[in-house]
Amino acid sequence: MNDERERMMRQIRAALPDAHLPAARATIPAREIARQGDRATMISSFQREVDALGGNCAVATNEADAIALLLQSLRDANANQVLTWDDADLPLRRVGQTLQENGYTRIFARVSRDATKRKTELAALERADAGITGALAGLADSGALALVTQPTQARLVSLLPPMHIALLAASRLYPTMAAFFASHPDVTRRGSNLVFIAGPSRTADIEMTLTRGVHGPKFLCVIILEWL
Amino acid sequence: MNNPNSAFHDRAAVALRDRTLRTALDRATLRFQELRASAFADFADADAARDRARLIRAHTLSRLDTYLEQFATNVERAGGRIHFASDAAALNRIVIAIARAHQAQSVVKGKSMLSEEVELNHALEAQGIRVLETDLGEYIAQLADERPSHIVAPIFHKTREQVAALLHEKIGMPLTDDVAEMTAAARRVLRSEFLNADLGISGVNFGVAATGSICLVENEGNGRLTTTAPRVHIALMGIERLVPTLDDLAAMLQVLARSATGQKLAVYTNIITGPRQTFEADGPDELHVILLDNGRSKTLGSAVAEILYCIRCGACLNACPVYREIGGHAYGSVYSGPVGAVLTPALNGIAAWSELPQASTLCGACRQVCPVRIDIPRLLVMERDAAARAGEMSRGWRWGLRGYAFMATRPALFRLAVWSARLGSRWLSRFNHGWIKKAPPPLNAWTATRDLPAFASQSFRAQWRAHQARSGATSEARK
Repeated sequence: MNDERERMMRQIRAALPDAHLPAARATIPAREIARQGDRATMISSFQREVDALGGNCAVATNEADAIALLLQSLRDANANQVLTWDDADLPLRRVGQTLQENGYTRIFARVSRDATKRKTELAALERADAGITGALAGLADSGALALVTQPTQARLVSLLPPMHIALLAASRLYPTMAAFFASHPDVTRRGSNLVFIAGPSRTADIEMTLTRGVHGPKFLCVIILEWL
Repeated sequence: MNNPNSAFHDRAAVALRDRTLRTALDRATLRFQELRASAFADFADADAARDRARLIRAHTLSRLDTYLEQFATNVERAGGRIHFASDAAALNRIVIAIARAHQAQSVVKGKSMLSEEVELNHALEAQGIRVLETDLGEYIAQLADERPSHIVAPIFHKTREQVAALLHEKIGMPLTDDVAEMTAAARRVLRSEFLNADLGISGVNFGVAATGSICLVENEGNGRLTTTAPRVHIALMGIERLVPTLDDLAAMLQVLARSATGQKLAVYTNIITGPRQTFEADGPDELHVILLDNGRSKTLGSAVAEILYCIRCGACLNACPVYREIGGHAYGSVYSGPVGAVLTPALNGIAAWSELPQASTLCGACRQVCPVRIDIPRLLVMERDAAARAGEMSRGWRWGLRGYAFMATRPALFRLAVWSARLGSRWLSRFNHGWIKKAPPPLNAWTATRDLPAFASQSFRAQWRAHQARSGATSEARK
């Protein structure tokens, strides 16, 4: 296998002197990136983009407000079983308590390394009706959320259920993806999976007809926590 | 499954007679063009963004050896395993070995042009391993036993009735003409496949050298499921698909989705760095990244290296007047449209594919929409040149062009030829207001399908001389 690697690298090195690569330069010039934006502008832009993507974005001005929006979303989803991150990983500490008080069954995503156990666990998680996550960031120009895996911040929570509810602290809004990367240069070392989510899952494969919820969530609800 | 040369004209002719296909082609390609145009109309720094994207691709390829080493090291540092495959057979061997080591029986696959290129499904199925495509369009193409006909929209050539009949027959869906119901039926079947699969195979849009990350762009969520649910994730990647840093990745993503589907960003942009870490709650326990050459290093050292800048957005397909008439299948190769007409002969050798670079009017629409501004018309001409040098040209063409060269390098002879062509063409068009309806061989190849305009009554050189004389007279008069 290492032979193959050496052979391929040799071929590439041999090809490079003859390569006709128009526009190639020795370096890529650095660019100016505006890291911060005006918060109110970013909130309204983010909200507009999420709505345009077919998601739903609401702004909560205090905790009670946010809890009310959360419960409303769960009712909309006709939810019974709710998949969530741990309380410590959510920007609202009362999520667990709220779910319990309102009679929802809360489940957590933990997937074993054993192949057989894994399949049974996945089948159980599949029954969840909604998933509640936080978010590492929101991108104001595109309406995308950034989620990165952490010990208890499972990726399946935002993927398996038909509805994904994301709690986003307003302070985590960035104007662009480039601004987000500039502020989090080591983000890929924090967890193995970073995903940008821009709206609910969609396809237009059949006759170019837009359909939502093909493999991922059909509904995306973002609650911006304005005071955080 | 690759169908070179000989049959290209036959396939094109079949496509041209297929009314359903042509209606679908019109609808899809026009829609994609509108979506792209409106995305770029709202994009303030579009030109600068495209220039930067081009620069990033050009720079990366000019130091491909360095970035590949860096990428491979960082994939391993993150706990992933890196494999090098110099051709299709090598890649398939590596995948089969991984599948065997895990006693894998079922595989779910995200969209990957590269897996089509190496015909991975056949290789796995020959080993008794079940492979399921999970992108909705690719899944339907697989059920129909067809190859995708467009980079972005694999089954746009099928009507909803055809899709409904297929899903009815293959997975027992009740007949419907509701696209949402069809999608829901496919979701149900594929969901249980995801959760029970032993292996997930995905493509890669970009690899990030500085972090060892792979970036996978998709709208459906099948990419996320493929790379999350199974214990083992195998990512297939062409050696040219690198960018140096995360910032460069952000710059590429700014132009990719806008060019492909008119979106600012795809719904899911996955950036995967290694397998799940020790304390992570879910994700694959193993990540294998396989780097494929399969003609790419040869292309890098050739006159058409610029085609490796391509980021597979499909914009050139939608813009191409030839693709818009004949569709993807007529090209006979995995990569169709203008990019395919350059890439296919570059990767596989011109001998079997010399017809593809001819399938273009060199109008330049592809270059105009390309997010990394690849000069595709120039590359098509280079491939035609390669075909001629390789002797892949009919005797008629070769002698015709030799005759033309002989004449065009001798002014007196050239003038005589133009003069007689003018007389002849005016004679042939004398009843049709300057249009020739029927010409003698070999020109009848043209007039069989369209009219040919007669030569102007005055040659360009004569008009130019007259023009110069007039303007000379005016400037004299001004003095």
